[in-house]
Amino acid sequence: MSEASWGTVLEIALRTLAVSGVALCLALAIGLPIGFVLGRHRFPGRGLLVALANSGMGLPPVVVGLMVALLLWRSGPLGSLRLMYTPEAMVLAQLVIALPLIVGISLAAVGQLPEDFHLQVRALGLRRGRAAWVLVREIRLGLLAAVIVALGGILSEVGAVMMVGGNLEGDTRVLTTGVLMYVQMGRYEDALALAAVLLGLTFVLAGTLTAIQQARRA
Amino acid sequence: MSEAALAVRDLEVARGAFQLRVPALELRAGEALAVLGPNGAGKSTLLRAMAGLLPLRSGSATRAESCDVALVFQRPIAFSGSVARNVELPLWARGVPRERRRERARAAMEEFGIDHLAGRDAATLSGGELRRLALARAFAPEPDVLLLDEPFDDLDAAGRETLSLDLRRVLDQTGVAVAMVTHDLRQALLLADHIAILLDGRLAQEGRRDEVLRRPAGPEIARLVGMGNLWPARVLDPGLSRFPGSSIELGDDLRLASVERFASGAEVWVGVRPENVRLAKGAEPETSGRAIVTAIFSDGVLVTALLDWGGLEVRTHFVSGRGLGVSLKRGDAVSFGIRPEDVHLMPRS
Repeated sequence: MSEASWGTVLEIALRTLAVSGVALCLALAIGLPIGFVLGRHRFPGRGLLVALANSGMGLPPVVVGLMVALLLWRSGPLGSLRLMYTPEAMVLAQLVIALPLIVGISLAAVGQLPEDFHLQVRALGLRRGRAAWVLVREIRLGLLAAVIVALGGILSEVGAVMMVGGNLEGDTRVLTTGVLMYVQMGRYEDALALAAVLLGLTFVLAGTLTAIQQARRA
Repeated sequence: MSEAALAVRDLEVARGAFQLRVPALELRAGEALAVLGPNGAGKSTLLRAMAGLLPLRSGSATRAESCDVALVFQRPIAFSGSVARNVELPLWARGVPRERRRERARAAMEEFGIDHLAGRDAATLSGGELRRLALARAFAPEPDVLLLDEPFDDLDAAGRETLSLDLRRVLDQTGVAVAMVTHDLRQALLLADHIAILLDGRLAQEGRRDEVLRRPAGPEIARLVGMGNLWPARVLDPGLSRFPGSSIELGDDLRLASVERFASGAEVWVGVRPENVRLAKGAEPETSGRAIVTAIFSDGVLVTALLDWGGLEVRTHFVSGRGLGVSLKRGDAVSFGIRPEDVHLMPRS
């Protein structure tokens, strides 16, 4: 390691985890109910929403960054919140990337349940919280897949967080933007160190989730 | 009469273009009701409405106070986890403490002979085992009313027989009221003491089992309840006869007597259950007619013979393996008798 200290690397890694972790939790909190409703109910306009979720799954992060930046610029509709170049702005951008993934995959998982699943659950006397718990258990493999895909997507994206976070040292620098910056500066050792941490994090998280998924299946 | 455990009043359910209308239907404690009808008649919809799972357009499906209702679906779901966890689910839903839950689940699994599968992943069960799991799961919370949607679907003949006998035993022991939808008339008759017939979303007939079997309200119902002989006929003028019922003409010189009264000249359907056609070989006195055996089939238990009675086909059943069941052949000349009380008349419009 030439210049960046291990402390800096650790700080960047923790910030990366915090930003992506919060974005993922928000995406789950908002996306799962939407996915359940779209997967279970038939109503006018549902097809449009499903198409939106599906096409949103392939949104280029740099375009998401641009859209969120336009919202958060001082002259933009949310400019008064002064969120541009803050970790909150990065969370918002990653939320926009993760949300369609969570919605799309969870609605597909709910859609694969037998047509009368919810009636059968109700017929057993299961209501609200307990019915929701049974539903989550039945589609847990799909849900874990959604988490793995969403987390992989937001941990590794660089365009959106760069645009709305600005890669400010000690404030909004995350692993991907750090790697990019060090490469541009010709500090390949530092870039490689951050890249190794990013790769390690991705492997550990995806590996843990996969282990949970496969253990439950077994 | 005890109070109805479950009562349907002026029920109307709409499912797309389909409408179900049931003016009144009651299920009392200890009663077993079979709901029969062709595919698409609304049988499953009726069960689901009775279970309170469907929005009603009008009317009501009310249960007695503290009456617990369980419904077993035509394709029951094996929820993830073990068989025991599946059977415990409705108890968990009712907030039953863990120890009591395990105890009840064990008892229910024993009732349906799946206690040895308690630890098995429910997803690995065979069709018959899954049926038993679904029944044990429904019975675990000790419901007062059990609604069964095609409980013998996908089972082979032996599986149906064993499961229906097990079910009969549990029903007798617990006194739970049952309403069952099935297309298997034999299993329905084994279990039910009442029959309700649905045709095109309306309740066409309801009553005690033997009454519906002997006196179906129309030809379509007669076919559903196994009244295998159905002929168009005309009621004759009684003339000087002092016979209190009706004399009917089915064709040239083909006549039968019925204890049921119909106006002379009325166009009717005549229904006779095959088991009520009594056969004798050769010519016997006091018979309804003489006929030739045109076909004979046996499933090893029951023989079905088709007779040609002056151009009219008569179907009869008798026991295989003894008497006529052994000696009767195609082409034999036979006499047959049908008692006037076994000849059912239905209006023909």
